[in-house]
Amino acid sequence: MATLNFMVGQEQGNVSVTVLKVEGDIDAATHKTLQDKAAELIDAGTTHILLDLSGVNYMGSAGFRAIHAMTNMLSGGESSGLSKSPYLKLLNPTDPVARVIKTLGFDVYLDIYQDRNEAVNSFQ
Amino acid sequence: METPLTSTENKIETLKHCAFLRGLQGSVLNSLAARAETLRVASGETIITRGETGSAMYFIISGSARVHDGEVIWAKIKAGEVFGEMAVLDSQVRSASVTMESDSLLLSIEREVFFDALSTDPDAFKAVLHGVLQREREIVSEIKTRSAKLLSYQKELEIGRRIQADFLPGSIPEIENWEIAAWFEAAREVAGDFYDVFRLKTSSHLAIVIGDVCDKGVGAALFMTLFRSLLRASSLYGYTDSAMDKSDSTATTSEVLLNSIVTTNRYIATTHAGSSMFASVFFGLLDPDTGRLTYVNAGHEAPMIFRQNGEVELLDITGGVMGLFPAANYQVETTKLNEGDLIFSYTDGVNEAKNMDGQQFTEERILKVASPESNNTENFIRIVLEAVYEFRGEAEQSDDITMLALKYLPRAPVD
Repeated sequence: MATLNFMVGQEQGNVSVTVLKVEGDIDAATHKTLQDKAAELIDAGTTHILLDLSGVNYMGSAGFRAIHAMTNMLSGGESSGLSKSPYLKLLNPTDPVARVIKTLGFDVYLDIYQDRNEAVNSFQ
Repeated sequence: METPLTSTENKIETLKHCAFLRGLQGSVLNSLAARAETLRVASGETIITRGETGSAMYFIISGSARVHDGEVIWAKIKAGEVFGEMAVLDSQVRSASVTMESDSLLLSIEREVFFDALSTDPDAFKAVLHGVLQREREIVSEIKTRSAKLLSYQKELEIGRRIQADFLPGSIPEIENWEIAAWFEAAREVAGDFYDVFRLKTSSHLAIVIGDVCDKGVGAALFMTLFRSLLRASSLYGYTDSAMDKSDSTATTSEVLLNSIVTTNRYIATTHAGSSMFASVFFGLLDPDTGRLTYVNAGHEAPMIFRQNGEVELLDITGGVMGLFPAANYQVETTKLNEGDLIFSYTDGVNEAKNMDGQQFTEERILKVASPESNNTENFIRIVLEAVYEFRGEAEQSDDITMLALKYLPRAPVD
């Protein structure tokens, strides 16, 4: 069965940022694993997540649903009133994933960075 | 060490009370009990695995287990019941997996031991055969019950399918100088795709909508009805500004459109935030007299305008998918269709249709097969559809297919 692998790192910028690197395809079979991992990190005190997608070659709609659920968990269910999530940002999506992000307009909702330091320092 | 539960007497008791062995003589039971092995197994331990060969059958002395194939559970069994007996009797591979659901005590009997014991009594085979048939009758009865349930679910789904069909336009309005055609083909009984064509109440504008709710099946279908209804209701009845006038309609048409998109998005993103369900939507308001099209593309595949001069214009996204973020911003864009131009919108069941090798049909192939100048809209859709079918070959339809095409008919020259 398809699985996801996670690597968790902690970085200090303006705020403490958890860098969650995912490896594998995020689809209907695996999206819950990602959601559960995020819930576990948030329970342990994580407030800001930088989701590193450099190891993800496929992301279906279930993956985008999981990312939305993560933004919801991080905001405590409250709408920030902002058009972009201040708590969740994306790092380095692969070409096929970047294409889907663009088609669905997810870049309207989430900041996407290519550079890890720049991404970490962008959280306020 | 022999404990009360593992004593020979107790083993005999276990075997005697198992329906499968009912009718066996005491001597046969004694012989089986003497050579049966007692196993202590922990909750969560898988004792037999589907598809593997095996030579033992197991009687549950205490505890419980599930008979399953992966995550699909076929039956729950408990003390006094047997499993693994089929592979012992017919020497085939295991037909199901069995995993303990509590710390349990089992009796294990090897095929060789079983047949040895049976051979000591001429009536023993008859008794076992009777036990096997008894189980078969129980299985047949269970299948009958499940088939009846399945039939009832299928009926419910069929009702759902018929009700959902009402959420697509029953007929497409006839508009002078315009030709409109649509195609809708669900991959399952119920669908997440939708399209809509209707006249606004407050102006002569024609609303054209195409959308695709994420995911498939009943969940997507429920949200399809929600998206479609909110978009229709908010644009038909939610904004009755008297300033909306045909003479200078651009600004107010944008307002009606934006109000409909923003209201629908905010409602679903707020009320159904926990579902994380979203839809890509293209929503356009067309002035049939001028060909002016005011639109929002919320994360949807870019509709294509085939110009009469051979050029193709793509109506790229002007915002993200709907239903997730309440504060989402959408831009309204306008374009103009001229006489002879055709606009084609579709869902990803077209460009992402897969062949047997897993390759996708792609937007490029749509552009390659499309021949707008020599065809009416129905033919245009048919040509794309046939190309998709041919490309897909034997591969299964994995997603709903929806297409909507409008053509601005060239007016006949006035003599």
